[in-house]
Parts: sequence; C-alpha cells; structure tokens
Amino acid sequence: MDFLFSYLVLALIYVLVGLSTNLLVGIVGIFSISQAAVFGVGAYIFANLTMAATSMPFILALAIAGGACVLLNIVVSLPSLRVSGDYFVVTSFGIQLVASAVFVNWVSGTGGANGLPGIPAPEFFGFALDTPPRYVVVAGLATGLGCLAFWLMMRSPFGRLLRAIREDEIAIAAVGKQVLGAKVAAAALAGGFGGVAGGIFAAFMSFIDPYSFDLDASILLLSMVVIGGTRTLAGSIVGPFVMLALPQILTMIDIPSTMAAPARQFAYGVLLIVFMLYRPQGLVGERL
Amino acid sequence: MSYLQINAVDVSFGGLRALTDCGFAIKEGEITCMVGPNGAGKTTIFNVITGFLKPDRGSVSFKDRALTGMTPQQIVAVGIARSFQNLRLFVDLTALDNVLVGIRHQFGESVFGGLFRPIHTASSQVAVRARAMEILDHVGLADKAEIFVRNLSHGEQKLLTVARLLATEAELLLLDEPASGLSARALEGVMDLLRRLQKDGKTLLVVEHNTRVVQKIADTVLFLHQGHLIAQGTASQITSDPDLAEIYFGGVI
Repeated sequence: MDFLFSYLVLALIYVLVGLSTNLLVGIVGIFSISQAAVFGVGAYIFANLTMAATSMPFILALAIAGGACVLLNIVVSLPSLRVSGDYFVVTSFGIQLVASAVFVNWVSGTGGANGLPGIPAPEFFGFALDTPPRYVVVAGLATGLGCLAFWLMMRSPFGRLLRAIREDEIAIAAVGKQVLGAKVAAAALAGGFGGVAGGIFAAFMSFIDPYSFDLDASILLLSMVVIGGTRTLAGSIVGPFVMLALPQILTMIDIPSTMAAPARQFAYGVLLIVFMLYRPQGLVGERL
Repeated sequence: MSYLQINAVDVSFGGLRALTDCGFAIKEGEITCMVGPNGAGKTTIFNVITGFLKPDRGSVSFKDRALTGMTPQQIVAVGIARSFQNLRLFVDLTALDNVLVGIRHQFGESVFGGLFRPIHTASSQVAVRARAMEILDHVGLADKAEIFVRNLSHGEQKLLTVARLLATEAELLLLDEPASGLSARALEGVMDLLRRLQKDGKTLLVVEHNTRVVQKIADTVLFLHQGHLIAQGTASQITSDPDLAEIYFGGVI
C-alpha cells in the first residue's frame, strides 16, 4: 500500500508544479523550460532551512521557500517581457543550465552531485507525518489549495486578461490595460506554486539531488502539461497522474533493468510526438 | 477649446518619411473621414495619436491637453481608443470575453482581488457582464456572445472590434478601415452603426477607402498624401476635385 500512496503523493506534488507550468506556458504564453529549476530552488531552500541547527518549522520553511521562488520566477521571467517566443525559449534553456550547474557545484549549499540527505519530515503537535499514507494529507492540502487558487484565477477578470495577453499584447494596450503588471503577477504566482511544491517534495523524499531538477525534469514537466492538457485545471491534474503511472506500467513488461530508464525516456518521447501530431490539446485541455 | 488637434507632426522610419508637417483638427461630435492613397500615412497618424508611436517632431493635444509622451493606456484613460486594420481580436476567446477584457475599472483584474476576494469579484462581474452584453447588443452581436471569435464571419468580427472599443468608454474613436472587405449588406450595417455612435455622442475619426461610404457618413473629409494634409472639406468638395481624384487613382503631384 505504501507504494500506492507514494505514487499519490508524488503525483500530487507534480500537479502543483504542473499548475505553475500551465499558468506560464499555457495561459500567459511564456514558454518556460526552466520550471524544474524553480522547483529545485524551492526544495533546496526548504531543505537548508529545516536541516539547520535551529530546524525551522515546516510551515515557515515552506513559506520562505515559496516566497523566494516568487522573487526568483519574476526575475527568470523578466526576459520574456523583452524577448518573445523562440528567443525566450533559448533564454529559459540557459537559465535551466545555470541552475543545474549551481545545484551540482555549490557543494556547501546543495551537497553537490551527492545530494542532501536527512531532510526531516514535518511534525505537527508531536505527530510525525513520516509515512506516505500520512504525508498524503500534506500534499493533498497544498495541491488542493493550489488547484483552488488556479480555478479562482481562471474565473476572475485577471485570468481573462492573461488569456488575452497571450493572444495579442498590442490589442491589450489599445483597450487601456497593463500588460507588464499582469505578466509579472502571473510569474510570481507560478513561482510560488513551484517553490512550495519543491519544499513539499524535499520533505517527502528526505533526500534531494540535482537530477530531480535538471533539464530532463523540466521537459518531463512540460510533457505532463502537454499530455494532460494545456490551459485547463483538469489537464494539470490528469497529466502528472498519467505520466507518473507510465514507469509503473513499464515495470510490468519484462525488460532488463539496465534498459528500464532509457525505455521510460523513449516512451515519454514517443508520447509527446504522438500527442503533438494527433491531439495537440492533450487529454483534457484546450488547443495550444 | 479645440477637440483633437494635431500640430506639425513628422515621423520617419529610417529614410522613409511617413508623415511630414502633418497637421489638422477634428471637431467634437463629427464623423471625420481620412482618405488618401496607400502609404499616405493614415495608420501612422493613428499610431501617433494613440501613443503607439513617438513623433520625431510636432505634438498632439486633446481638449487642450498635450498627449505627447503618454502611454497608450493613459491615452485610453483620457478618452481616445483605436481599432486596427487587421482587427487584432482575441480569436481564441468568445465574443463576450473580447468585450469583457476591454471594460474599464473591473474588480478582480489584479491577482490579489481575484484570489482573495473571489465572492466580491464574482458579484461585481454580474454588472460587468451585463454591461458587456448591452454593448454587444448595441452593435448587433448579442446572439453571438458565446461564440468563439474565430468562428465569426469577417463582418461580425469588424463589428466586434467596435464593441471592444465601446467597452473602453472612450469618447473619441479612431476606426481603421471599419468597412473594408464587407459585403453590401454588412456595409449598410457598419454605416448604420457609425451613425448611431455619433448620435450617442461619440466623435469618430475613420480611415476609409470606399468613397460611397465617405459620402454617406462624413461630416468632414481629410485628404492625406505623402504624409501631409493636402485638402480638407465636405465629402462632395473632396470627391469633385479632379486633382485629388488624380492622386487617389495613381497620379502624382
């Protein structure tokens, strides 16, 4: 049963990062391929805060990790206000590479390639949430709040403004609305989601290393959003559940263990191509 | 007090002079049509008035207030809004959403309002939606409210651009070729709408190529040629001038 619960927790965490990615890429049209970097910064900040001698409380550490990623994502998204489309993809690629280099090489802060072990599980009133069935409550609560925020945002005039910005920024200016402020606000919100998800991930895994936050991870996140469905709440939820189930299904096929990881990458790649060709709106999304 | 006043505006793009010492005034409550051959600078003057383009020289004032240096957003707030020749509608949104985006002073347009006061946002949207429906009804698109813009006909899309302008509550509307490419019936609809807007108290500056439309709706006609105003008068004065006809149909001065 623990296996099923860990799948559930991980999927919930990826839903939260997926919301962040969907908001930027799907709704505002800022094609970021550095969302795993933001996710990672949240995880490392959270880990350092809770593992310090003072051992900061879970909620406070999570809030600081989220807040730091709000600022980080604003900075990371700023180039998108100046360079558009294809050029921002290249910029974003660079940001992801820089983040990966820092995660691997800043040994005193991140443990380098060996990672950071021993991140404590949260404890509330002496009750430790240290097993997957207990931790589902934490992940479910955070992701539930994230989904609620996403849903409210999409229903509000702010969400409508963001969708319109993706289509035509000049027309937005011509009806007298600000483009810059709305984009920065969306980037901030996406950063908050990513950072909090990072903290929750770190506390659940109790060990983090740079490979959870590299370019492959960013592409996996994008794949989740594309296959689940862009621009919709349902798509952000379905995508991670499907994509994380895939490796489990592959284990049922009898292939040598050395082949397992490449087979998974291969399956993700094929899925992306097939969806782009035959169902670009994903399982439950709107056309990109 | 002058209403909209353009004073000696120069604009050049590299070596190309789009506007040269271009100046004119338009009167409140009138429909002013701007005509001239392709490349005369009609769209460029729209861009200058609405703050999308900084003139190299010259100034624009609205009700004796200088507009030079203002952002497009500030100019809309002052009361001037423009449409685009290539429409620039949000084609993946519904007709109603296109109008809703333009409505002024909505609660919940910032991230905080939308997330932390959802009930107030939802309740204030009721009035905003009613207003948007009223505008759609005014241009004759009430029954198309929930249709995605890419599924609307060209004529309906043109009407929708006017609806989106009305949402801004601007009093001076700059329309870039609102009647081009329309069928005879759709054309009548647009002309009728422009006259109704005038009755509602709007002032219109319209770029138009169709002389029949100009004759029917224009109070004043401005004739632009090579970035300069060369004639101004009533529609019949302008259309009966042989020199202007020569320029319009391919002559040179």
